[in-house]
Amino acid sequence: MNSIRKQFRLTASAAAVAAASMLSVFAVSPAVAQSGPGFEDPNNWPQYHRTSNAWRFSPLNQINRDNVKKLKVAWIHQPGTITHGLQATPIVIDGVMYSISANNNVWAIDAATGKTIWQYAPKLDKIVDQVFYGAASRGVTVGRGKVYVGTLDGRFIALDQKTGKEVWSTQLTDPKNQYGALFSAPPQLAGNVLFGGTTGGDQPISGKIYAVNADTGKPVWTFDVIKNDPKSWPGDSGKVGGGSAWMPGTYDAKTDTIYIGTSNAAPDYYNYDRKGDNLYTATLLALDPKTGKVKWHRQEVPNDSWDYDSAYEALVVQKDGKDVIVHLNKGGFVFVMDKKDGKLENVWQFAENVNWVKGIDPKTGALIDPVYPEIDKTKTFCPNLLGARSWNHGAYNPGTGLWYSHAMEVCNEVVAGKDDPDNLKAVSSLSLGIESIKLVSPPGSKPHGRLDARDPITGKRKWSIKYDLPPLSSVLTTAGGLVFTGDMEGKIYGYDADTGKELWTFNAGSGLRGGPVSYSVKGKQYIVFPTGLGSHAPGFLAGAFPQIKDLPGGAAMVAFTLE
Amino acid sequence: MTTRKLSGTTRAFSISAGLRTVVFAGSALVLQTLSTPVLANAEGAAEALPQPSFELTDPERIAAGKKRFNKTCAGYCHGAEGVGGRAPDFKGRKDLPDAEAFKTIFHGRRGSDIMPPWGQAFSPDQIWELVAYIKFLGTQ
Repeated sequence: MNSIRKQFRLTASAAAVAAASMLSVFAVSPAVAQSGPGFEDPNNWPQYHRTSNAWRFSPLNQINRDNVKKLKVAWIHQPGTITHGLQATPIVIDGVMYSISANNNVWAIDAATGKTIWQYAPKLDKIVDQVFYGAASRGVTVGRGKVYVGTLDGRFIALDQKTGKEVWSTQLTDPKNQYGALFSAPPQLAGNVLFGGTTGGDQPISGKIYAVNADTGKPVWTFDVIKNDPKSWPGDSGKVGGGSAWMPGTYDAKTDTIYIGTSNAAPDYYNYDRKGDNLYTATLLALDPKTGKVKWHRQEVPNDSWDYDSAYEALVVQKDGKDVIVHLNKGGFVFVMDKKDGKLENVWQFAENVNWVKGIDPKTGALIDPVYPEIDKTKTFCPNLLGARSWNHGAYNPGTGLWYSHAMEVCNEVVAGKDDPDNLKAVSSLSLGIESIKLVSPPGSKPHGRLDARDPITGKRKWSIKYDLPPLSSVLTTAGGLVFTGDMEGKIYGYDADTGKELWTFNAGSGLRGGPVSYSVKGKQYIVFPTGLGSHAPGFLAGAFPQIKDLPGGAAMVAFTLE
Repeated sequence: MTTRKLSGTTRAFSISAGLRTVVFAGSALVLQTLSTPVLANAEGAAEALPQPSFELTDPERIAAGKKRFNKTCAGYCHGAEGVGGRAPDFKGRKDLPDAEAFKTIFHGRRGSDIMPPWGQAFSPDQIWELVAYIKFLGTQ
């Protein structure tokens, strides 16, 4: 066991520590300059996006523009197995970090030293060796004295928060008959209800969102993403219509509502057998946590025929004194809607290269002149199947009023085609509905990635940084006036949140795919980056970026603090 | 630096190949330094492979392999004409033995990345058609 648990602690000289502590006394006192949304529980990172408004904003400011260049490695935690890297956003509560690495290995780590407190490895069904979305998980959820895990074999598991011992385990999916439907995202808490969806948006299944009692594991409700409506799904098309909710939702206690986005419809590019709007795919759902009933829904890509999931985070900000949801989808548009009923406030174009529609009506949400894939015809679509951004989340800073999000500009040439039943026999089979696909450059330019700082309501861009390879890390922003992220090569960056100026950088040696977080233990602020390139996305992208082939994998949680 | 066994277990698969049954036994996935996975036979014995029922240079079989490759392998991971993905490009590649290509498609592989196993999805001849197309790409 010891051989796979390594942790290093770097010590500075006593004098340097003393000096840093004295400095921090002055810096730490105004750590929470404000109160209100986004500022609660400032020392912790208690849930996936830290707060239910999905800001990924830390109110801590001990580390700030003036001293960020003095960041030093505090500790490194290596889970051992590097398959698909580290994709988690760690949770930190009262000095303990809870995270997950390859094959659902769960870790409780001393957040000040990197020392392992406990580790839990579930006994997984052997079917996990056959699934397409293998090995990885995007995190765990902590609450009610438990650590909750969504597993690779389709279970929710609750562990005792103090000991890591299993409290309950509930099998929810039928992986053998659902193409390995698994939980790649941490299930989320809505009061005493624990809910989450599975992989499978690109597979011939009928996607579902599952909810259980968080204390007992007993199932409470199951929501069918595929609406039982022959107008929406002609014939039997809904039975193989995809429609998973593969990212974590958020729970808004104020309105007692779950917000969760859903994937594309399947077969992805072959829509001939599913002429209809294909509800509730490519939709933001507002669900009642007690019953799983729809309070309201907004479908962003009706009859999705381009793999344009709408599964990403529901960012909540204020517009004219009311809460609005800001919601990016893979098709390259941001929908701004009233949090209470989904009424549209605006739709703005996020991707620079969009050609599958002429636009989207910002008043009605209607697609303007959509261009659909066809059989026997090669058509170029922008964005590509990975989207205008992958699932790596953006961050919102109330100090600047800016939303920081990565973006990528890559297109694909597609010939639609009916899936060959011979190709759908494996658990790992995808139902892409293609004859062929090829990643290509946007017309007249080179494929690239960006970090954009924008007004979330209007999309007005304040600054933008271009990268040769599109970064796949989620973004962190802090009250220290900073924005943190990392690229596919393993370079970590700290930027000025106002200007985008690079203030600090560190080479971690393998790319970033998880969610950086910040927290404080005993008055000392830390910034932690999950590193280690993972997921299928880099492989997909290598068609447009050949240099990705040579990038190394890895898995290391790297913590920084001031000297 | 030591070699570490990833799965810790040996796996056995059986497939139907026409009238005969071929059993793959003792295949263990072994993780080496830098996690380059190799398929190794636990007993050190050669793995029995079902042989193709056609010449791997047969243009019709290459075309069938190309069609399947484009619909699946390319879209999933390997890119158009096998250029892309985290694996070495197939286009122009001459160092990939037929048997290794077959076994990798059948069993998949795990290192820092994952290729799922396709042995339960395709018949041996369907896999050999993919191998035929990959070999053809090597000549391009």
